[in-house]
Amino acid sequence: MSDFSTMIPEAPKVLRITLVLPVVTMAVCALLIALPWYSSFATQRLLVEGFTVFAIAMAWNLLAGYGGLVVVGHQMFVGVGAYALFASSNWLGLNPWLCLPIAALVSALFSLISSVPMFRLSGAHFAVGTWVLAEMLHILTLNTTWLGAGAGMPLDALGGFDRWTRNAGVYWAALAAGLGALAIARTILRGRLGLALMSVRDDEPAALASGVSVRIAKLSLWVISGTLTGLAGAVSYMNTLQVTPDATFSLNWTAIAIFTSVLGGIGTLEGPLVGTLLYFLLREVFADYGAWYLIGLGMLAIATMVVAPGGAWSLITRRWPIDLFRVRRDMPKL
Amino acid sequence: MLSTDSVDAYYGLFQALFGLSFSVSPGETVALIGSNGAGKSTLLKTIVGAVGVRRDGVRLDGEDVGGDSEPRQLARGVALVPEGRRLFGSLTVLENLQLAARNGRSGPWTIPRLMQEFPVMKEFQHRPSTALSGGQQQLVAISRALVCNPSYLLCDEISLGLSPLAVNEVYRLLSRARSEGLAVVLVEQNVTRALAESDRFYCIQKGRVALSGKSAEADHAKVAQAYFGM
Amino acid sequence: MQIAIETLVGGLMLGALYALFGLGLSLSLGVMRMINIAHGDLIVLGAYLCSVIMQLLGVGPFLSLILVVPLMFVIGMLLQSLLLNRVVGGGTLSPLLLTFGLSIVLQNVLQETFSADTRSLQAGDLALRGFHLGGVSIGLLPLLSTVVSVVIFAGTNWLINGSHLGRQARAVADDPATARLVGVDDRNFFALITGFILAVIAIAAVLYGIRTPFAPSSGPERLLYSFEAVVLGGLGNIWGTFIGGVIIGVAQLFGAKVSSGLGPFFGHLVFLATLLARPDGLFRRTQR
Repeated sequence: MSDFSTMIPEAPKVLRITLVLPVVTMAVCALLIALPWYSSFATQRLLVEGFTVFAIAMAWNLLAGYGGLVVVGHQMFVGVGAYALFASSNWLGLNPWLCLPIAALVSALFSLISSVPMFRLSGAHFAVGTWVLAEMLHILTLNTTWLGAGAGMPLDALGGFDRWTRNAGVYWAALAAGLGALAIARTILRGRLGLALMSVRDDEPAALASGVSVRIAKLSLWVISGTLTGLAGAVSYMNTLQVTPDATFSLNWTAIAIFTSVLGGIGTLEGPLVGTLLYFLLREVFADYGAWYLIGLGMLAIATMVVAPGGAWSLITRRWPIDLFRVRRDMPKL
Repeated sequence: MLSTDSVDAYYGLFQALFGLSFSVSPGETVALIGSNGAGKSTLLKTIVGAVGVRRDGVRLDGEDVGGDSEPRQLARGVALVPEGRRLFGSLTVLENLQLAARNGRSGPWTIPRLMQEFPVMKEFQHRPSTALSGGQQQLVAISRALVCNPSYLLCDEISLGLSPLAVNEVYRLLSRARSEGLAVVLVEQNVTRALAESDRFYCIQKGRVALSGKSAEADHAKVAQAYFGM
Repeated sequence: MQIAIETLVGGLMLGALYALFGLGLSLSLGVMRMINIAHGDLIVLGAYLCSVIMQLLGVGPFLSLILVVPLMFVIGMLLQSLLLNRVVGGGTLSPLLLTFGLSIVLQNVLQETFSADTRSLQAGDLALRGFHLGGVSIGLLPLLSTVVSVVIFAGTNWLINGSHLGRQARAVADDPATARLVGVDDRNFFALITGFILAVIAIAAVLYGIRTPFAPSSGPERLLYSFEAVVLGGLGNIWGTFIGGVIIGVAQLFGAKVSSGLGPFFGHLVFLATLLARPDGLFRRTQR
């Protein structure tokens, strides 16, 4: 029937930066890897924070923006990962970097187990249910003496390294976490899991009817996200040298993840990148203003939800149709 | 008079109505016929305010009213009996009527009057409204709109899923209302019934008026052609 | 044995207060299908407002309610009209994120204004008075809170079932689109509901503030208990929220008896365990 072609709107032309991007990417990566040799400890520590926050935000964004799983208890993964690292390194007397895989494994297991109760809930119930679970872990750790209770634990083995090696090592771990988060997210979204998730995001009943295993898709995403967050959390606390229940299981982790994703743009890959940059920029500029900085951040989040729910990246893409990471799929022309 | 003037309507990016013009005068009954998805329900929703449209797209008694919300249109005397009845399950039959009556205009149609005309409604008034048969629910749904005392009653597929006996009951109520000057717009799958109960008709196809005229003079061959788009 | 009974009674009364916290959340989740993450922070705001009025006018906490309740009502209406109405009906994400931002703003504004120190509302020795009934000691304030909570629940239940406002609320909860067709103006109506919610929060805040020292950061915990009460009881069931609150209160007090730091933990545990067995809560949406 001749009417069909006029019914489907023309897919917007997407700027494909084909050759420039790989070269630029490699140059940037090389610069980042070489950083410990040409910058200060302070810069490295800031970047560690930046990369780990980015990884955690990306993990949250994958869950909320692509999986439809809004999590308010994201800090549970941070705490589990951080404590797994510190505990395994301290008790096994191992090099902390060697314990990072252990932290990842524990985070993955935790994600798997926690999915059993959590996936029985949905929507707002699920969101606050994750918060309840996080709070339970918080209280448990506070009351567990062999994890250091309220005072927490230091990372004993780090004392055996000199400052330069320690800082560089933590920095590279963080860099790996950040780049890894980006790579993982991009791989997922360009692959079958991503296609399944986006179909579920657009229309769950239709996805189910088309044979998409919604349960497995969401579970995979949950475990990947939880592992990534746990790992990033572990690295983040290698930076601070001490884990405490109040810090690791703090709602602030979810708050940061939410803000960076909302400000940048939920449901996009570029969003958390832009959001993290904005977050740290604002923090450096307004560092002296204490609570007013947080008030401003909160109001910015509110304003964003009202005015531009797609975040800062949506404002950019409205003007120029850019797809930096080439994850958008176009409608075929008829 | 209630009319639309070359109106377009969209659901997101999908266009459902293409320059549709239609009118109904006070006391008139107009039938909208057409196959599924032709745009009949969309037209009703556009008039009543559930679908957005430009300001001068809908005119009521000389005033531009397009795009106003449903409560505003109700206050002006335009009420819709939605497809599928859509009674409030958490409310009893009586509460459904009370809710509408309180928000509607005052006039000859009151709850006591409806209870009197339909003893069955009086009997079921304290039952949850969805615990009734299809036909009974349809009577309640129409009463819920009538109790707002509209000047224009829009009815979307009121005979759908009802037994022939129930359909007769429903149209009996409708003719009672019409005899008191109510203008009615009927969306009806049953073409024969629609033409029998109306003064004029429009046949809608793919969001456009394919055929219109006086119901009594309708040529069934032409109607069939317009209906199926042949 | 006596300790068990005392703990049970104490838990029931604490739970009645939690139920009152949860009533507002039950209404907003049930009628507006919206979760307000700032709900707990609004309770704390109410407590601080009482504190300010008490200091300014030199009155007791209950007298201050005369000003605080209308003030909170207006704040509620403004909050809904100006901010929340923009995200109602937009899915789970938007209201959650917006109210999350609101929560951060509220906590930090309160901290800037009042410092992070805890304070409580002074009510003379009301917090200490009690009496004995059959060998069980009962605090006067908890008893008062319970009575107030039951009265407010009964009143709200009556409103929902017997008034035009209640009919509109139930209709909107059933089918917002059709409710508009019968003349319910949901923008104004939602503002009214949020005003009512905040008025109830004000009363709960006073009872809470006398009983427990509060600080700007006390909000999130209040939200969690409110939420547990609502979800445990089952959405759309007012008395369900009451029972839910009572269960959480009892669980918390028994947990605290087992180990003093683990009170809230047991509340959370009971909540999760019950939810796993009955994901829709204990009671179904009330049908007449």
